[in-house]
Amino acid sequence: MTIHINSWRIIVAAWKHFVRNIWLSLTTVFVLFLAILSVNVLVGVNALLMNAVSLLENKVDVSVYFKADTAQGVLDQAKFFVMGLPQVRSAELVSADQALDAFKKRHAGDDTTLSALNEIDGNPLGATLIVKAKRTSDYTFLLEALQNPQFNFAIESKNFESHEDAIQRVRLIGQSVRSFGVGLIAVFAAFSVLIVFNTIRVAIYTQREEIGVMRLVGASNAFVRWPFVIEGLFLAGLALFAATAIVAVSVTWLEPHINPFFDGQAGLVEYFMVHAQQLLLIQGLGLGVLVALSSWAAVGRYLKK
Amino acid sequence: MIFLEHVSKMYPPDVHGLRDISLHIQPGEFVSIVGQSGAGKTTLAKMLIAEERATRGKVTIGGWDITHIKNRDVPFLRRQIGVVFQDFKLLAQKTVYENVAFALEVAGITGKRIREVVPQVLKIVGLEEKAYRFPRQISGGEQQRVVIARALVHRPKILLADEPTGNLDTINTREIIELLQKINSFGTTIVLVTHNREVVNSLRRRVITLGQGKVVSDHAEGKYLLPT
Ligand SMILES: Nc1ncnc2c1ncn2[C@@H]1O[C@H](COP(=O)(O)OP(=O)(O)OP(=O)(O)O)[C@@H](O)[C@H]1O
Ligand SMILES: [Mg+2]
Repeated sequence: MTIHINSWRIIVAAWKHFVRNIWLSLTTVFVLFLAILSVNVLVGVNALLMNAVSLLENKVDVSVYFKADTAQGVLDQAKFFVMGLPQVRSAELVSADQALDAFKKRHAGDDTTLSALNEIDGNPLGATLIVKAKRTSDYTFLLEALQNPQFNFAIESKNFESHEDAIQRVRLIGQSVRSFGVGLIAVFAAFSVLIVFNTIRVAIYTQREEIGVMRLVGASNAFVRWPFVIEGLFLAGLALFAATAIVAVSVTWLEPHINPFFDGQAGLVEYFMVHAQQLLLIQGLGLGVLVALSSWAAVGRYLKK
Repeated sequence: MIFLEHVSKMYPPDVHGLRDISLHIQPGEFVSIVGQSGAGKTTLAKMLIAEERATRGKVTIGGWDITHIKNRDVPFLRRQIGVVFQDFKLLAQKTVYENVAFALEVAGITGKRIREVVPQVLKIVGLEEKAYRFPRQISGGEQQRVVIARALVHRPKILLADEPTGNLDTINTREIIELLQKINSFGTTIVLVTHNREVVNSLRRRVITLGQGKVVSDHAEGKYLLPT
């Protein structure tokens, strides 16, 4: 009963603290808001970078050109062998006819090439096997594996479009963004701690008479302390709410604008949707603990006698 | 009711607030404590509510040895002793009613009970009409009566008043003292710290005189003995 009454009174007291120091409260909310926002910006940038890397990785493949007139059995065998390798993500066989069609399409309007092609009997092109590895580092192995004597004799040439440099660069950017981000988060966390701590201290300073009276009329330390801790949590909750709203709005707005850079699928909204619970939980808990602890410590200074 | 046995209080590094004080205050007494500035009156008062702790000796209140009282037990002690200090003010942003109710709220008393008790004590101090005014809208004497009302909400066995009339004129002072006498007549033990010669002499009750932290005199029907 008493606990029930006290909890209610403590919540009411926390609300009063908040309202009486409304500007101070809003400033604190704003700083906390910025801290959470910076974390989300980092998360978003990171998601985009990961997306960029996988897009690039997707573009890498090895094209194996077979000699013209290679028997279908040899081609099938090669594809079967490649598919059986654990490093291989996909393998696609383009038949000689398809290759020819594609060639014609590509050179449509280029009369010299087309007439030269017509002069040759039959199809000068062979079939092509396009192989994609699961990881870029697997291509070295893949190229070796393709030396298999079962079909090596039929291979005209291999073309490995690596993009390795580009991928490496995106990776590096991602890494430095991440370590910069960690530094940024650390700085913001430190600021938040200081500002929350000072906000609460000022709040207590304005209420020091009330605290003195509370103690003399027999309020327990908990009764004095909890309103400040609850108020801090209240500020944190507001900040989290505001930041989440802003992130949701700006991500939704941003997505169509950046889609073109990612082959039409930036995946930002999807990323935040999928990780929403996790992000909210981590940010809420982190901020809550931080704010509660600093409120607790700030009041403690005034309670000790 | 109140026992002090060889109580000394030392403020670091070398100020003696109290030196070897022993006294016994019976239930229902009305005791005035007088003495020159710096004699240790406030120190003694603070010791009774555990705002200060004795350096030596033993303090017992209603059979409860509070000499080494734990911090978390202090609130319970304070809910049993009504306190009126000169610098122990009302809260400016709360009404008279809220100021009194506050003392009950912090003790976790139900809202229903608060609505019963507050009007009762406001009636005792004669302020039921001004319950919804703010402290700045009432006189100094009335403010002090609100403080006394607040001290009474827990129906304390002891009321401790440190210069409750310090800032008041003669008429208001008399009213406050009459109020204290009325509360005393209900059976509450009163410990009154004062500088006021007339008050002490008109009371004709026990007077304890302190000097340099010691009991100089203790008379059952005492007079204010100090030179003015
Ligand atoms: N917190 C403190 N720290 C150090 N010394 C103190 C403290 N409080 C009181 N003293 C000293 O203890 C002595 C007794 O002080 P106390 O306040 O009890 O006097 P008092 O009798 O109430 O005086 P007054 O009539 O002026 O209120 C004084 O010498 C004072 O300076
Ligand atoms: Mg004093």
